[in-house]
Amino acid sequence: MKFTYKPSPNYRNTQTTSGIMADLTLCLAAIVVFAAVYYGVAFGAAYGFRVIMMTLVSLAAALLTEAAYFKMRGYDVKKEILHSYGWVTALILTLITRLDVSYYALFVCTVVAIIIGKLVFGGFGQNIFNPAAFGEALIMNSFSGSKAAKVTADVFSGATPMAAMNSNGWILSSSAMSGLIKGFGGFGGMLVGTYPSVIGGSCALLILLCGAFLLWRKDIDWHLSVTYLITVFCLSLIVGLIKGAGFNYAVFNVMSGGVLFGTVFMMTDPVTTPITIPGRMVFAVGCAALTLILRWKSNLPDGVLFSILLMNMVTPAIDKLVDGNQIKNAGLIRKKVIYTSIVVLLAALGVGMTLEGVTPAKADNTPSGETAPASEPAGLAVEDFSENNTYCRVWSNTDPAAYVYKCSAKGFEGTNKATITVNADEGTITSITVDEFGDTVSVGDAAVADAELARYAGADLNSEIDATSGATFTSKSLRAMAAAALNMAAGD
Amino acid sequence: MFRETERVYTNMSILTGPMNHHLNGHKDLTKNKDVLKTIDPDQVWIPLVNGNAPCKACVSIGDEVKIGTKIAERNDHFYLPLFSPVSGTVTGVEKFMTSGMAQAEHLCITNDHKHEKVRAFEPFDYEKASWEEVLDFVRNAGMLGLGGAGFPTYVKYLKPENVELFIVNAVECEPYLTADYKNIEENIDLLRTGTLALFKLSKAAKGCVAIKEDKVEQIEALKKTFEGTPIEIRTVPDLYPMGWERTLVYQLTKKRYDKLPIEAGCILNNASTAIALGNAIDNGMPITHKYVTVSGDALNNPQNVYVPIGTRASVIIDAVGGYIEGTEDVLLIAGGPMMGKTIPNDKFVIMPQNNGLTVLVNRPKDEVKCLRCGRCTETCPSGLQPVRIQMSNAIFDEEELMKLSVMDCIECGMCTWICPSKIDVTENVRRAKNFVRTRMASRAKEAKK
Repeated sequence: MKFTYKPSPNYRNTQTTSGIMADLTLCLAAIVVFAAVYYGVAFGAAYGFRVIMMTLVSLAAALLTEAAYFKMRGYDVKKEILHSYGWVTALILTLITRLDVSYYALFVCTVVAIIIGKLVFGGFGQNIFNPAAFGEALIMNSFSGSKAAKVTADVFSGATPMAAMNSNGWILSSSAMSGLIKGFGGFGGMLVGTYPSVIGGSCALLILLCGAFLLWRKDIDWHLSVTYLITVFCLSLIVGLIKGAGFNYAVFNVMSGGVLFGTVFMMTDPVTTPITIPGRMVFAVGCAALTLILRWKSNLPDGVLFSILLMNMVTPAIDKLVDGNQIKNAGLIRKKVIYTSIVVLLAALGVGMTLEGVTPAKADNTPSGETAPASEPAGLAVEDFSENNTYCRVWSNTDPAAYVYKCSAKGFEGTNKATITVNADEGTITSITVDEFGDTVSVGDAAVADAELARYAGADLNSEIDATSGATFTSKSLRAMAAAALNMAAGD
Repeated sequence: MFRETERVYTNMSILTGPMNHHLNGHKDLTKNKDVLKTIDPDQVWIPLVNGNAPCKACVSIGDEVKIGTKIAERNDHFYLPLFSPVSGTVTGVEKFMTSGMAQAEHLCITNDHKHEKVRAFEPFDYEKASWEEVLDFVRNAGMLGLGGAGFPTYVKYLKPENVELFIVNAVECEPYLTADYKNIEENIDLLRTGTLALFKLSKAAKGCVAIKEDKVEQIEALKKTFEGTPIEIRTVPDLYPMGWERTLVYQLTKKRYDKLPIEAGCILNNASTAIALGNAIDNGMPITHKYVTVSGDALNNPQNVYVPIGTRASVIIDAVGGYIEGTEDVLLIAGGPMMGKTIPNDKFVIMPQNNGLTVLVNRPKDEVKCLRCGRCTETCPSGLQPVRIQMSNAIFDEEELMKLSVMDCIECGMCTWICPSKIDVTENVRRAKNFVRTRMASRAKEAKK
């Protein structure tokens, strides 16, 4: 009998790093499948196929790079690849990329993310930056022109939530906020994720399910994710309430862009985040503050990615900050966490206070209900449509002579929807067709008769269009939509 | 701004991890089997060592001894007598490795299998005796911490001031081990006597027996036994290392302490120590035998045994049926797999503080790089950051290691257990401790010059 010596303890938990990575892979794969189905159904099978192809391109780039690197270094290639988890980086990178990024850009950036983002630091466990975030930052900064134009035109004809908010200067009135959310299918639609954004960024519900699964499997720590979400929510709630954007502003900030995907899949990357729980809390608060500051004030599409990269840089400093015996230094560590967080939060709030909408003239600050509806129609530009909850979204903006908008506005008892074509060069309406009539049949429908609608042709923002008699409210909803479409066309 | 103004160790549950974890105990392997009591080795070797201190033999080669004859004593700043576990002849002294992995002299006694006993102590009534008499009795009976430390028991009770809670530790949180459980099951009346005597000695306001909440039947039996006494039965969750003094004191009193439990108003003793004292009081016999759990996946028939102190590991393993056929490479662990040391031979003997032999098949492990998940910091019962210590040790940064409180590590093994990358974290922390210790020693030497 051979008696081997091994230092104690000789007892091990069943959880393994490879197991954690397998769970992560499963979750990421689920999101890829969701994205393929969504884009395939909504925009055509070719786009579903493109999701799969982009995933494969990135995976191939990651695995080939690692294989070549380990081969060159003279390591056991298969073993090192299995313990380097490059495919996780590739999957995350694909999912935070937009569908219109070219295969070429994605391939190059995956290669660079793997080499510069990870391998040069000494491989898995040693890298400073989240490799996927590193790669995506590169795509955004160096390959913004390398787009598949047809995909851009077909899929991204409308604005993404981030672009919509950006064009409004990240602050809107509470009613405009509701309209904007409605444009993405309301919170229900945003939860399911049936709108184009980055490939894996929209499906809030699925991401939350993945997060719950990973927590249940004890693959990720809740402290960081939960602190981050709470901080983003509270910060935007305070700013939203003070600036009149309301409660929905906070919910929108959490549900849109990369917040959920980032917190479940990127901030929980243990390699690039602090080791201790107090450290992770500081990291989360810092990330949340930076996310919002970057959203509000930078010209980046979203703040999540760069907030992660910036906080990655200070991770060693945070680790140092909360060092030492966690029991004996409990009071000290708690103070450090609280003071650091307060400073960061105040900075973010300070930036939030400076927010102003891009077009304050258009922003409607009059609380609804105070002014009675105007009895006489006035020019479209000055008429008050605050009670119509108008929403307008770009349907096609390729030809300035015929920009197409899908609009909706509240009429007498329901919501009317219309497709409006605008000649942006001249700033006039070409045509209005009503897609959905929500008001009282045989009362309001007088306003939507073809002859009545024809009166809008050639109208501009200064036109005064009389109401159809007997259908005042429906007429007003039509004017509201016309004004909104003209305003948007003027903005473009 | 960050100066610490108060030195109170408060709990901050949101900012710390759980500092413990449930382990799969594998206790069903041995818990419900009878204890094997027939092992009667031809020779026993008594290690002449207690802690790091050598003990001096007070018999010579050729002397006849009986069960209960005093054969050696430790007599430096502590006093501890050792007694013969068998009757027979002293036949020699041999130096080999103990279960604590130190080289030590062993006194060899050849067993005549006559089982002749000599009553070591006169009948003793702890209830009538004065506090000083009880302390003297405990000292002369050679009571020592049977939970693993082997520390002379009387020392803890020398100055029992402001003791609020006396705790008998029956938690037994090491995986595989059920020796305390079986010992309590069979000697519950001795446990009562010993506990009450120690309680008297502690001058504590309250006393309790702490036991894991999953041992339902034993809790009932203990409640019945201690009915009408000031001793409470307190249950604790099935977590590791619940049996460690600090974790247990925190669990029961929500207090932390710096060095000794008495700072938190607590005195603790292991349940088998209390039983041994009960045996000394009721039957006049010192510690001669031990309940030892022999378990693990490399053995045919894991079970508890009741053996004389000084029985060789090889004898015990043979007696329980040996290794599973085909096993070629094993880890032979003195104790449980978490804190027990792996001994590279099977010649070592059972010391009074040993309570287990765990024999595991040696399996290769698949170690990968550290992913800095920080799980070791969340489960560390001492509140350390093993992963940071490991990184600092890699560059031999003594100052940084001291900042990380490396010397507070008790080597409980939690960090290695939890590590998903299968790194020997505990061993790396142990090396860091040794490095700091060496540096301290060499500085002390230079200061002397």
